[in-house]
Amino acid sequence: MKRLQIGIESTKLANGLNVVVAPDATAPVVTVGVYYKIGFRLEPQGRSGFAHLFEHMMFQGSANAPKTQHIKLVNSSGGVLNGSTSYDVTNYYEAVPSNALERVLWLEADRMRALKVDDENLKNQRDVVKEEVRVNVMNQPYGGFPWLDMPPVAFRNWANAHNFYGDFADLDAADLAGVQAFFKTYYLPNNAVLLMLGDVKAEEGIALAKKHFGEIPSGAPPPFADPSEPEQAEERRGNVEEKFGTLPAIAIGYVMPQRRTADWCAMALLDQALHGGRAGRMHRELVLEKQIAVEASGGIDDLFGYNGPTQMTTRILHKPEYSSEVTLDAFDAVIREVRENGISADELEQLKVKWRSDYYATLEGGHGGHMPKYGLMHLLACFTLFDNQPQLVNTILDGFLAVTREEIQAVAKKYLRNEKRAIVFRTPVKASAKEAA
Amino acid sequence: MATRAVEIAVGVPALAAERAVTWPKRTKARLSNGLEVILAEAHSIPKFHGELFFGSGNAAAMHRAPGLAEMTATVVRTGTTNRASRQIEEDLRRIGADLSSGAGADTSAISFAGLSEFAEPLLGLVNELAREAAFPEGEFERERRQKLEEVKLERTQPGFLASERLRKVLFGAHPYGQVSPSEAQVAAYKREDLQAVYREFYTPENGLLLLVGDFDAQEMLKTAEKVFGGWAGKKPETNVVAAPANPRGRRVYLVHVSGAVQTQILAGCHAITRKHPDWVKLGLTNSLYGGAFNSRLVMNIREDKGYTYSPRSGVNALRQHGYFSVSAAVRNDVVAASLTEIFYEMDKLRSVPVPDPELADAQNYLSGVFSMGLATQDGLLSQLSTVALNELPDDYLETYRQKVRALTPEDLLVTARKYLDSANMQIVVVGDRPQIESQAALFGEVEVYDAQGKQVD
Repeated sequence: MKRLQIGIESTKLANGLNVVVAPDATAPVVTVGVYYKIGFRLEPQGRSGFAHLFEHMMFQGSANAPKTQHIKLVNSSGGVLNGSTSYDVTNYYEAVPSNALERVLWLEADRMRALKVDDENLKNQRDVVKEEVRVNVMNQPYGGFPWLDMPPVAFRNWANAHNFYGDFADLDAADLAGVQAFFKTYYLPNNAVLLMLGDVKAEEGIALAKKHFGEIPSGAPPPFADPSEPEQAEERRGNVEEKFGTLPAIAIGYVMPQRRTADWCAMALLDQALHGGRAGRMHRELVLEKQIAVEASGGIDDLFGYNGPTQMTTRILHKPEYSSEVTLDAFDAVIREVRENGISADELEQLKVKWRSDYYATLEGGHGGHMPKYGLMHLLACFTLFDNQPQLVNTILDGFLAVTREEIQAVAKKYLRNEKRAIVFRTPVKASAKEAA
Repeated sequence: MATRAVEIAVGVPALAAERAVTWPKRTKARLSNGLEVILAEAHSIPKFHGELFFGSGNAAAMHRAPGLAEMTATVVRTGTTNRASRQIEEDLRRIGADLSSGAGADTSAISFAGLSEFAEPLLGLVNELAREAAFPEGEFERERRQKLEEVKLERTQPGFLASERLRKVLFGAHPYGQVSPSEAQVAAYKREDLQAVYREFYTPENGLLLLVGDFDAQEMLKTAEKVFGGWAGKKPETNVVAAPANPRGRRVYLVHVSGAVQTQILAGCHAITRKHPDWVKLGLTNSLYGGAFNSRLVMNIREDKGYTYSPRSGVNALRQHGYFSVSAAVRNDVVAASLTEIFYEMDKLRSVPVPDPELADAQNYLSGVFSMGLATQDGLLSQLSTVALNELPDDYLETYRQKVRALTPEDLLVTARKYLDSANMQIVVVGDRPQIESQAALFGEVEVYDAQGKQVD
């Protein structure tokens, strides 16, 4: 068995900025990422959607690179850029020909040092974000299902339970003072990690990091907003209307174990037993065998990338001729089977080979073909910000490959319990897609 | 058009000297049975990616039924003479592999990726699917019913409704004119139809096997020969189809979706195929217009006006005909304003030469992004397949950047005038009729359709 070893150098600058370099000269391309330890969960109460709106503002101008210049300077260097907001981190990243490395670092440092935006920029991006929400959620069949539908049903702590994309009234209430305050609180070198992956030498990368980021002042550690949930002791259910689609849908989410525990590793493999594509038990039973569902998929979203309460969530779209009770019974039969009988040694062996293969694909992962090493960047960033151990990227696999059948069955019994789950029913308002002309 | 002065950045570090881009060596062979094989080594991870293409897709099966090549590909993976569906899926998992099968307009393909240590068993399974698919009755029935739900569901997606209408308008009765089957057409699929398509399309003479990854090319070629060598079969006859009429004059096609909170705009016109000598020129023109984040259209209707989140334009190259298109999902009250800007930017490129610095930026963008394909196995595979499927010259990858950099503002002006055919763009808007019809009507005579594709009044 061939194991992949990633060469990594990491350091922490005097201002607290973590720097991680993973050199690989295969292609003359370098991927640069800056991750800040701030996500949906920590956005100010009553300001739903703010973290994501703020991410947009980071492209609107900084002290020496006014509006449009971040985009223009990366594209015109032959590269691509983007950013994204998730539960516990927000990232900004570029993939460029390696001769543009210093330019990209300069840009990232400039916006870490000083965001320079005005009311017009804020209004513009508020409009853009609303169209983003419309195109991804409000004007799409099953938009936001279940990632926006589940949290308010499953969780009690506002940090985990609110609308992450943002209510439009909250987006409208965002003001420039709030933007700058958010920036000053969270966008600090001591709350971030800078990553360089690909065609860069370790010493060169670290020297450039010192040159461009070294003088950025650190700040008071951001306030800790406790995202912990009260212990769940009853099944929770909620209903959401489906405006466009005609198939009833159900999502079932079970609370996950703490990350980086033995239970967590076992749950991850159990998740693959249940949701691993066409061989996964959910798809096999609900779609292929019983043919109740058109889709039975899902699982743990971004296993390595969360640092607070989360769930393993199954997403089912079922045929209208089956009731949601019948569908849920079929789902429950799959859960019951694995709780009562666990999985076979052969199945576990298959899961481990597939897990290793998938892990390598994640590390190479191109994020739609234009962002080489996106997956490696993401893992290194999370292992740095959450665990202070970027080297975990080379050892984390061991924990998954050591999982036993007994552990799988034990986590099935411990976590796949009705009082630990939440269910969302997304119910079509139309019985049929056919509309009066 | 920016409504405020654009400021420039101060103190930007210059670009360092460019590192040479070296594309890996391609090993090419034609097996004695006619199967073309192309391999390239890429050792980033201990895996490999592959694709077995057949040079016939939904267009070539259209005379039998729309979408039939896709349905055939779907059922191919559900059983062979040796393995039942469940066995196939477990065997894939056992060797850490992913596999999918599908068909586009022009090709059918089995795509796969797996650990290098299990290359031979994975190729063995691909070979089995290509030669010994059994089309089990029960699997066919299930996939057909599954497909029925899918074709119902896609009629609730604005993006699908827009592209379905545009393709119909641009290509009419040509096979490219129908992107998806109707419910009735799916209901009428027969197992024998799929088997006929399979026998005809899935042959070594019609095939192209691409493999990229962590292996020794010579060894892998021997393995491919061993696995696929015993297969035989002729290239299918190609049906000659009359060229579609190129629609003249701007017209508007409104697909009514009651209660839509946003309008999907999609406009397009005939353009060129990948093989056409103007391809690189049009690629660069498109990149300036709406093909990049930094493009004029994105800067205008997103970054300046905030009408939309993800405007974009593209050149869609089908094998026999290509088309140019531009899309944006916009706020309902700015449909007319968005279309105005969409055409303004097109006409500006048709009338005013692109300033040199902007041209240089776009040239850098296109040549830089082109090289990203080198960095991942699937990125490289996709570049190699573009070259092979379009029968582009062997040095296409090596010379592309040079070609992009040689273009002048004059070239782009000529190209925009030829292909950004603003006077003959066909405009599709998908949204709530009462809110958008009068806005859309400013741009041409309006035909109204429902979500089922039926023309109304």
